[in-house]
Amino acid sequence: MSRILVDFDRCEGHGLCEQTAPEVFRLDDEGELHLTREEVAPEDERAVAAAVRVCPVAALKVRP
Amino acid sequence: MRRIVVVGGSIAALTAAESLRAGGFDGQVTVVSEEPHQPYSRVPLSKGVLAGREPAKSALLPAPGEDIEFRTGARAVRLDVRGRTVTLADGTEVPYDGLVVATGARARRLTGGSDLVVRTLDDAEALASRLATARSAIVLGGGFLGMEVATTCRALGLEVTVVDLVPPLLRLLGPWLADLAVAAARDHGIRVRVAPDGVTVVGEHRVRCGESVLEADVIVCAVGDVPNTDWLRDSGLPLDAGGGLVADACCRVAPGVVAAGDVVSREGRRTPHWTNAVEQGRAAAAGLLEGASARPYRPDPYFWTEQCGLDIKISGELPLTGPPDILAGSVNDRSALLRWRHDGGAATAVAVNHRLPVIKLKRLGAGVPAPAPART
Ligand SMILES: Cc1cc2nc3c(=O)[nH]c(=O)nc-3n(C[C@H](O)[C@H](O)[C@H](O)COP(=O)(O)OP(=O)(O)OC[C@H]3O[C@@H](n4cnc5c(N)ncnc54)[C@H](O)[C@@H]3O)c2cc1C
Ligand code: SF4
Repeated sequence: MSRILVDFDRCEGHGLCEQTAPEVFRLDDEGELHLTREEVAPEDERAVAAAVRVCPVAALKVRP
Repeated sequence: MRRIVVVGGSIAALTAAESLRAGGFDGQVTVVSEEPHQPYSRVPLSKGVLAGREPAKSALLPAPGEDIEFRTGARAVRLDVRGRTVTLADGTEVPYDGLVVATGARARRLTGGSDLVVRTLDDAEALASRLATARSAIVLGGGFLGMEVATTCRALGLEVTVVDLVPPLLRLLGPWLADLAVAAARDHGIRVRVAPDGVTVVGEHRVRCGESVLEADVIVCAVGDVPNTDWLRDSGLPLDAGGGLVADACCRVAPGVVAAGDVVSREGRRTPHWTNAVEQGRAAAAGLLEGASARPYRPDPYFWTEQCGLDIKISGELPLTGPPDILAGSVNDRSALLRWRHDGGAATAVAVNHRLPVIKLKRLGAGVPAPAPART
């Protein structure tokens, strides 16, 4: 399974990833990003790719 | 509909293409993009990439799924709406049943081809290499982009002057917030020159403002953008006075044609920002697939900028008049949560160097956007 990598130095907490794939990406009350899971199940692949893509600062990557 | 063609190669185009799949479209999806590169985000180009802190390839966005054909180096030059055909620069004719126009915008230039601008990855790399050996820079244009470029130049140790016809950021942000940002710019050592009588570029290193002439090693042009609709000139599609492609609340332009992103003019204006390109990309796909029954999308006015040590996030309409309510922090420390209330109950919330989940900012400002569909 592929994994999600977050570059926390880049993440600005814009939350577009959370809006796109809320079941995987969560911002806490401080605006810090958390992943509900790091591994991407095949059925989540497209939603995760979409979330990675909408991040304006390219802070998210998926590693095969 | 068997074949949908998306013209463009950036965030609006990709979001629309992926949203077609998420919306159940199982015909052919072809994206034709002028640039030679894989899709990338422009947002870091004026910031980390220009500063040399981040490699250009860190701005790349994930490629679309394998069931989407993505053609690079393919520029559309003409559209035949009746015959439903897009013609590419090499003469290829691409037929479609549905079309998404997402050709974005390009940098406006003052003198022609040789201006240094920041719009594409190639622009940013070219400028970065010039800045590496420069000692001074003039930035023409005091919008978000100009102020970000000035900040980056300053961080690289250059002497920087921002030149504009009007006070920087005033038209975008309104006087209160613009003053705050310009004060921060001055504290950062950025000179600001307002030249109401006009600015003329008089050579590679010189700019005339009224009576005086300014000189610098590098002159960067950040004077706004122009929608890429030249290829639509003879198509009969509606363009506004500024060249923006006129679309309705569902991003529809004409039967079988929708549009998204920086290219779109809606309710008389363009909104050339990232969140808008994403939202419209989704809405355009729905507009094409669902036609008359598509739901109008609700714009999410969310803007941000990083400049002169200020991290500013904004939820709500701009520009802002009058002073804000200070909900937290302190304006003197330049770390505060602010809110402007507008007539009719709407509000704009602004976080300046104030960490707050964006969702909370939106609750204070434009409101929480409708939950996105689970996918794309
Ligand atoms: C340096 C910089 C920094 C920015 N920072 C921010 C920020 O901090 N926050 C924010 O909200 N927004 C920011 N923006 C704005 C944001 O990047 C844009 O709103 C966004 O890129 C719009 O996406 P788009 O897909 O509509 O258009 P574009 O990104 O302009 O993409 C259009 C695409 O269409 C292609 N194309 C054009 N004409 C043709 C043709 N005839 N045939 C085929 N392909 C064609 C182009 O090559 C390009 O790939 C920034 C922009 C720049 C330039
Ligand atoms: S979209 Fe990007 S910047 Fe925003 S919270 Fe997600 S990872 Fe961070």
